[in-house]
Amino acid sequence: MSMAILTDITKCIGCFECVAACKKTNGHKADKPYVFHVNDGLSAHNWTSIVQRPDKHFVRKQCRHCLEPACASACPVGALHQTSEGIVIYDSHKCIGCRYCMIACPYGIPRYDWDKPVPYVQKCSMCYELVKHGKQPACTAVCPTQATIFGERKELIAEAHRRIEENPGKYINKVFGEFEVGGTSVLYISDIDLGFLSYVAIPGTKALPKTTATAMEAVLPTFFGVGAVMGGLHWLVRRRQKLQRENEESEG
Amino acid sequence: MNRLDVFKSVLWTLTGLAVATAITRFIFGLGAVSNLSDSTPWGIWKGLNVVPGIALAAGGFVVTAVIYVLKREEFHRYAKVAVLIAFLGYLSAATALVVELGLPWLVWQPVIYWQFHSALFEVSWCVMLYLGVLLLEFLPVPLEETGWFAGLRRFLTKYKLVLVFLGIMISSLHQSSLGTLFLITPEKLHPLWYSALLPIEFLVSAIAVGPLVVILGVLVICYMYRKEADRKTLSKLAYLGFIVIVIYGVIRFVGLGVNGKLPMIFDGSWQSTVFLIEIALMLVIPIVLLGIRKLRYSQAGLAVACFSAVIGLGLDRANIAGVMLQVPGSQYYPTIYEVFVSLGIVAGAIIVFLFCVEHFKIWDVKWKDPRERPEYCPQFGLGSDVWLGSPGVTERVKYSLVFALSFALGFALMPQDRIESKGVEEITVQKARGGDTLFIDGNLDAFGTLFDHARHVDSLGQKQSCIKCHHMNVPLDKESGCWECHSSMYTANDIFRHDWHASPNGATIACDICHKPEQERQKASAKECRDCHIDLYADSTADTLDTYLAVSYVDAMHILCVDCHRGRAVADTTRVALAQCPACHTGPQPDYLKAEMADELSRPAPNHVMMPPAVLQVKEE
Repeated sequence: MSMAILTDITKCIGCFECVAACKKTNGHKADKPYVFHVNDGLSAHNWTSIVQRPDKHFVRKQCRHCLEPACASACPVGALHQTSEGIVIYDSHKCIGCRYCMIACPYGIPRYDWDKPVPYVQKCSMCYELVKHGKQPACTAVCPTQATIFGERKELIAEAHRRIEENPGKYINKVFGEFEVGGTSVLYISDIDLGFLSYVAIPGTKALPKTTATAMEAVLPTFFGVGAVMGGLHWLVRRRQKLQRENEESEG
Repeated sequence: MNRLDVFKSVLWTLTGLAVATAITRFIFGLGAVSNLSDSTPWGIWKGLNVVPGIALAAGGFVVTAVIYVLKREEFHRYAKVAVLIAFLGYLSAATALVVELGLPWLVWQPVIYWQFHSALFEVSWCVMLYLGVLLLEFLPVPLEETGWFAGLRRFLTKYKLVLVFLGIMISSLHQSSLGTLFLITPEKLHPLWYSALLPIEFLVSAIAVGPLVVILGVLVICYMYRKEADRKTLSKLAYLGFIVIVIYGVIRFVGLGVNGKLPMIFDGSWQSTVFLIEIALMLVIPIVLLGIRKLRYSQAGLAVACFSAVIGLGLDRANIAGVMLQVPGSQYYPTIYEVFVSLGIVAGAIIVFLFCVEHFKIWDVKWKDPRERPEYCPQFGLGSDVWLGSPGVTERVKYSLVFALSFALGFALMPQDRIESKGVEEITVQKARGGDTLFIDGNLDAFGTLFDHARHVDSLGQKQSCIKCHHMNVPLDKESGCWECHSSMYTANDIFRHDWHASPNGATIACDICHKPEQERQKASAKECRDCHIDLYADSTADTLDTYLAVSYVDAMHILCVDCHRGRAVADTTRVALAQCPACHTGPQPDYLKAEMADELSRPAPNHVMMPPAVLQVKEE
């Protein structure tokens, strides 16, 4: 069962209740402007944020929980991995701190404890502990206008399309996250373009783990192929040298 | 001063600085010494030390392949140098990783948690395995010198070919998988560098430049120790490199051409300029210099070609692993401390290299420092007739001193403010504005609160009420503003003036008035502030002070105001709203602010959570 969050930008009033609930649930400390932060409000202490856009648009930013997560595919130890609910969670005791997940993420979500001697990667866990027990994440539970809702991914996509069809002209005719980078579990419908959430305005629909898959499949064949080719060359060269010596001996 | 002397002193200085920085990083975190950030998680430690370092260490497997697999015996005298350079290259990359990783003590975890789909999993396995192989390949050299473990040495020498084969197989995987690492960032890496063929390009360019690194190393060492280099053999080795460079050039440009990226080379952006420089250094100069037989056989031609190719390859790797991987809007430039570590690790590797050259038979004979020859002994110090001991001892003393000095200098240079503030941006607090009604907005971000001072004075007990809020006053002053001590918006700052208390021009207090004579003079055992300053604390605050730090302005406001308001709300349940955030974080703003923040005031909901707009507002295009 794939769970998802649908955020309707037209309904968000920018009250920060979700941000406050997130902080409270995850026990995060107060925010201070750190030099290592990006100016989108996300940080090691802030797993979700409200990005203000022109004309009183408030866009909630959080981990997109990709169906085929680039971060989990990049992680060398499986510290980031996907649960059966489609949630990407982080296992801090496995992490070695390489930060390849931060390089790989197409939305720039994972944040780091730069100020700590024992740092961990920080990102939204879609309140996995709550979801596991049949509850909904703190952010969706607290939203006063139902701008961000939690449910099964299939149903939420249907709901999103229903809203778009019932209100012609109100929304951009696109469910953001339905197909992007192979599909994400956090979906948006909006009246403004949300291209700014990712590094390129229109992310491709190809899942990023697929880009390295071919090369990774070639690892073992390459290993033994190189060995075989080198072995063959070695045999050839030695044989040629042996023949040469025999020739010289017979001539001499 | 001899050229080797100067060179070694510089190396030891850099190592000292790097060690001081590394220690600081492990105590205070990565943010204390580096400019790494959420937008630039990989800096020059990965972009200059790890990725290019490993590429430049490829000489080990290429040269041994040529010697032992293809049986080109004429290069045999460079086998040990090549393996040593590769070993030290890998070792320096691994050292950089130890400083760079967040949790380096867990670096072995890929051994137990297997992730076949991760390129970095493969990379880490290859690093560990190949470091082992290189160690075993090089081990016979020191063992021969010391005479220890003769059985192990004979075993390793006997099965050298197995090690060489393993080295080649692991290396070709490793070099290519470093390219695979960046396949997952098609949107971030600049198109001139991104290519589906990255793994192959990485492997081929490493094979091409690997032997040239060995040649450059040999030339530099020959220069340092005033030896004649064997140019003929080196040129032959360089020719091998030349052939592979041409192959690499073809792969790179065909790749660009097929994807229609050729026009981007001349589009005039700074990226295209960097690309042209990279191509000139890595392809054009080496191909021209090594392609012409006469230049290839000249020492200058060979040296310039190798140097250019090495720098070019380093630039290529640095571009892919860092410069061209930048997220729009992020402005990363390394701190001087990052540069210390980066250079210091390389310097450390070179020191070990020189040690091996001097103490082991890397060539047929050991290359001692010329001054260690008997005719140079005894040695006298400049301007004095004191014998400084045998040259070996003098060296050790001298370089230990250089190292110790630079180590101390490194600590002295550490960024005090960065470490203390732990990355919190320094924002000086502005005093509250207004008369009886104050507008409190310490960081001038327009998210402030109105504070009715007159009403608070009334309700808290007229003139006797001042110390309820104005605690920790400067003596005899009852109306100092909060901002005078709580002068930083988010960080605590020290306000105890020890100098002034002890100064003859200040309070003229003798030491034992505060510090008990029989006890050690420490903060913990000293007299408390309030023993002298009777009205130092407000009623509501804690009785003792753990530090002389004034908490940040934000914390001060919340501790003082919220505590009191909450208490009142509990006592008088009809005024519950008093304890809620909107009690302060909304409300009418003064007229002079209304105009400039009209947009904020018309927000449909209150600011329940105070967050500075600098963090929140994305610059509007």
